[in-house]
Amino acid sequence: MEKRSMGMAAKRRVANITTYVILVLISIIWIIPFIFLLLNAFDVGNPGLTGNVWPEKWGLGNFAYLFSAESNFLRWYFNTFIIALFACVGQTAMQFMMAYALSRFRFKLRKPMMNMMLVLGMFPGFLTMIVLYEVLSGLGMTGDSAVPGLILVNIASSGMGYYVAKGFLDTMPKSLDEAAEVDGATKFQVFYKVIMPLCKPIVIYTVLTSFMGPWGDFVFAAAIAKGAQGGMNVATGLNSWLDSSNIAGFYKYFCAGGVIVAIPVIILFLFLQKYYVEGVTGGAVKG
Amino acid sequence: MEKLDKDSYLKLSKWKRFVYKFKYFFLITIPRVFFKIEILDALSYLKLNRWQKLGYKIKYFYLIKIPRFFKNLGLKIWKGIKGFGLGVAHFFKNLFVTFKEGDKFTKLSYLFMGVGSFARGQILRGILFALMEIVFILYMILTGGYYLGKLNSLGLVQPLDADENLVANADNSFRILLYGVLTIFFIVAFIYTWYLNIKQNRINEQIKKDEKAIATTKDDLRAVVDQQFHRTLLALPTLGIIVFTLLPIVFMILVAFTNYDKNHNGISNALFGWVGFDNFGQLFSWSNGTNTFSATFGEILLWTLIWAFFATFTNYFLGLVVAMLINKKGIKLKKVWRTILVMSIAVPQFISLLYIKNIFAFDGIINDIIKFFGGQPVHFMDDQASPLMVRVTVILINIWIGIPYLMLVTTGILMNIPADLYESASIDGANVFQQYTKITLPYMLFVTGPYLLTSFTGNMNNFNVIYLLTGGAPHPQEMLKVNAGQTDLLITWLFKLTIDDSNYALGAVLGIIVFIIVAVISLIVYNILPSTKNEEAFQ
Amino acid sequence: MARVQLENVKKIYSGNVTAVHDFNLDIADKEFVVFVGPSGCGKSTTLRMIAGLEDISEGTCKIDGEVVNDLQPKDRQISMVFQNYALYPHLTVFENMAFPLRLDKKIRIHPWSEEELKKIDEHIEKLIAQHADATGNDKKRAQLEKKIEELKASKEKGKEVKGFTQDEIFERVTNAAKVLGITNFLTRKPKAMSGGQRQRVAIGRAMVKDCKVFLMDEPLSNLDAKLRNQMRAEIILLRKRINTTFVYVTHDQTEAMTLGDRIVCMRDGFIMQVGTPTQLFDMPDNLFVAQFIGAPMMNTFNTKLLKDGDKYYVDLFNRKLPISGAKADALKEKGIQTRDILLGIRPEHLIVSKTASEGTIPVTIEVNEMMGSEYHLHVSSEDGTKIIVRIPTINLSDKEREEMVTGHVINLAFEPKAMHFFDPESEINLLAGPEAVNSKGPIILPGEREQA
Repeated sequence: MEKRSMGMAAKRRVANITTYVILVLISIIWIIPFIFLLLNAFDVGNPGLTGNVWPEKWGLGNFAYLFSAESNFLRWYFNTFIIALFACVGQTAMQFMMAYALSRFRFKLRKPMMNMMLVLGMFPGFLTMIVLYEVLSGLGMTGDSAVPGLILVNIASSGMGYYVAKGFLDTMPKSLDEAAEVDGATKFQVFYKVIMPLCKPIVIYTVLTSFMGPWGDFVFAAAIAKGAQGGMNVATGLNSWLDSSNIAGFYKYFCAGGVIVAIPVIILFLFLQKYYVEGVTGGAVKG
Repeated sequence: MEKLDKDSYLKLSKWKRFVYKFKYFFLITIPRVFFKIEILDALSYLKLNRWQKLGYKIKYFYLIKIPRFFKNLGLKIWKGIKGFGLGVAHFFKNLFVTFKEGDKFTKLSYLFMGVGSFARGQILRGILFALMEIVFILYMILTGGYYLGKLNSLGLVQPLDADENLVANADNSFRILLYGVLTIFFIVAFIYTWYLNIKQNRINEQIKKDEKAIATTKDDLRAVVDQQFHRTLLALPTLGIIVFTLLPIVFMILVAFTNYDKNHNGISNALFGWVGFDNFGQLFSWSNGTNTFSATFGEILLWTLIWAFFATFTNYFLGLVVAMLINKKGIKLKKVWRTILVMSIAVPQFISLLYIKNIFAFDGIINDIIKFFGGQPVHFMDDQASPLMVRVTVILINIWIGIPYLMLVTTGILMNIPADLYESASIDGANVFQQYTKITLPYMLFVTGPYLLTSFTGNMNNFNVIYLLTGGAPHPQEMLKVNAGQTDLLITWLFKLTIDDSNYALGAVLGIIVFIIVAVISLIVYNILPSTKNEEAFQ
Repeated sequence: MARVQLENVKKIYSGNVTAVHDFNLDIADKEFVVFVGPSGCGKSTTLRMIAGLEDISEGTCKIDGEVVNDLQPKDRQISMVFQNYALYPHLTVFENMAFPLRLDKKIRIHPWSEEELKKIDEHIEKLIAQHADATGNDKKRAQLEKKIEELKASKEKGKEVKGFTQDEIFERVTNAAKVLGITNFLTRKPKAMSGGQRQRVAIGRAMVKDCKVFLMDEPLSNLDAKLRNQMRAEIILLRKRINTTFVYVTHDQTEAMTLGDRIVCMRDGFIMQVGTPTQLFDMPDNLFVAQFIGAPMMNTFNTKLLKDGDKYYVDLFNRKLPISGAKADALKEKGIQTRDILLGIRPEHLIVSKTASEGTIPVTIEVNEMMGSEYHLHVSSEDGTKIIVRIPTINLSDKEREEMVTGHVINLAFEPKAMHFFDPESEINLLAGPEAVNSKGPIILPGEREQA
């Protein structure tokens, strides 16, 4: 009989070791930019864009600058935080109102409404920007006082992002609603006594994503703030530090700012990772 | 052509035989092979060999499925038009009948909204109807009428007189268009409410005839949280969407038919007005000496599609591979690997994108490392870089951005693949690779079909990655004339045209084109995807 | 405690699909009615129309004499148990069962306590004294008189309380839990319970509230066979305890037979027959009912009914089998002549005869299914007709048991008492009354048949 060259166990071990090697490589590739960012943030040598990774001179000077009166960073940060706070409440509410109505009720305009939103969603979002700027400036919500304007823009049309929430609601058996109705609940009571408590994971997902959105929101924020320092959010503000005219003096501050922005979001994310994963996978299968 | 039997064929001269054969080939054989399809039943299909099966499938697709798709589409459109027509007819018939058969309150309601409701004790409804009428009339008198009247011309009094001085009571094309559209929306809403007000009367008269109870205000209020709860829920989100999305989009669609640009901004230099389809014509024939516009458009469109394709599928397949590596049996610390990847989702994208852009800058870290090892620094993503270089770099960076997300998406679905599928496959003798191609991939593609579609169209409009990484670079001279670069997507170009150049009309045209492309791709793909419809079982 | 009347009830879905055709049924107070039929026959739809979960397209549904067509489920005073339990996953068992009670905000009359009564009496006396003092002031006197009357009436009537108190809820839920044997699970969430326990909770939730009609939609079909038998027995006990009107939907004829006072057998949205279990079993109106009720299915033979003078025979496998007794009398009364028929005989009414005789036919055993207490023999006659025979094993000797194997030939005798005669065209039982519905071809309702 032929001798087997390698036993099952040995084969598997080789396969596993290869996998580990690949995974470690992947991890390095994905982590290293953040390590670089961190290292740059602590570099108080040349404030501009430099090729070196390892700080020329260690120090907390960059962070100190962010929190000093000299920079507008704190203002931007506060702006973004307020927007995110309102957006996560408002967007979650809007999306759930929309999703619940479309998932649990059957009415004549249901299909036309869904089609309409699908069609509207196919237009590039920027098209609305010019009009919204005009409307918001009419309301005095642009420039230095862009924050309420951005909140409004973030929330107003967010009902169109109902898909994930609806996908989740659709998986809930209709007999729960029916049982509650037979038990004497009004439609509203069915909503908040029976279905809402079961939506916890997807509510958390929606809150999380809508909270994260404004931190990275760039286009609308830039358009509505229109260069006014007081109305910028972190994304537009920090980006302005990377202008070709600013980068030589502000690059390292940008890195420090990036670290400060990323930390709370990462922490929040790590705690709620489970819900995020649930929402993402659920949403993808529904399409 | 006339088909000949064997004898008459043999009787033909040599030349005529050749002609016959030639004609036969083009008129009979080719149509039969390419344009005719015999629908096979399951058994005869199974008897075909692999290539015949493929041929059958392809023929089936373009001979049966595509015509059917267009036929269905046509039917749907026809049905829609018919439904609309019937609806309108129904509307007028209802109005007429209600008036003819209604009592005096009903008749009065045609002029004074809410009279019928008040008369039948539905105070709340009556107040709301009356209020709507008052607000509408006041609005039309105070502002709506003015804008509506000017909508046709978009204003006549130019903001600057002949000496370039500001005119005091100038028109404002932007406002006229915006408020004109708003007024039309309002009129539609008013007509709907007016119709509701009349329908109420009809229904209530019927209820009275049946000697049933008419809903009181108390009932109405109760219905807000019960029978009509969906309306309560939908009111706010729908209003938001109408005002903040629908209205602006209608406005911009109309802008595509005007000459709204930096020389005609409608406010401070010159009014803008209707130009019909000129802008669309311009897109295809615009010549600025070198005919750059349409050429640029073609190039950008092509790159947009290439980008969307690569961005979607590289992420998808690599994300799937990473997910499978992490989920491999016997691999420990699954959570740790996953968390490391997920962290990069948590960092706001603009930070990672802007930072990576600078890592890849000419004097950035990567080039520093290359120099350290004695290489020449490379232009990755700036204006001196070669277009191919930039495009590849962008796609690679996008992989870095996208894989964690796709890893999460695919992990969830991978877990849902029934384990017994793999067990039975391995008993049947499939190796790991075969299991991947025969089970994992088909299953994944089937389940995530709609997701792939949305992520394809999403990538077509992936503004952030391109704008923040390259800003469209490199910008060759002839493209720079229309403010475009070789990695610009339609969407970033649109952004530059509108925001940087204030060329709103062309921006709107581009926006409409993006919409049409996205809509057509979605419509066709969605109708062909197996997971949305499961009709042909053995395909 | 209510009568349920369904009059010409129809369910038409959009697209003109009719799920229920002209359903007429009068369910008496405290009756237990079972809707039975194959899936898609409209039984659940009908139940859901009674519950108010589906709109009634045409006709009326009355509960307790009141038309409820336009009432919402919550206003119909019904309880319902769902097939998949429909327990609220985020609530404990206790809260699940308390749910309908907490939502109920109706005003109920409670008797006054002793103390309260005393207080009312005192108050009345006080008012009477005031009344006596107020001589001359007619207006005040009238007011006082009115007040006194009101108090007296209220004393008579009892205390008005909105909704249920905490104590009442506790008492009702724990009582129901005790009855269903789930007291120990009251603090658990549904997730931590087995299917049978969950179904008990669902029943408990329906039990606690005051309802006129108790609706059950295939409550046992998610349970395994053993548990189903057990729960079936418990439902019988429960029914005695609750003593209200029950409407029960099932596709399982055994459940229908064991539970129902009356069974409504349905097919394709039509009622095939309404009757007691015995009526449906012994006197099916048509072949569908005959074959749906009873297991294994009734055997049928295409054959002839012969009338020879006063006597009736069936022509079966070239044998002339006489019919005597009640069946013959009934045939005679109906004046039935010689004709083609579809003969139906239940497997349990075939007799294995030890010896061959003129009235028996030889058949070959193809398969013998050993069911424990009985054999189900799948046999075929000489001309290839397949017949199923059900014989109890208890009376068989060891030798006879050994002979009941594939290939062996046995003799079958027919019991005329248990024969059913169907018209081959309409499949209506020849002995059925005029209200019988055909089960073959387009279904014609009795009223329509007369017109035709």
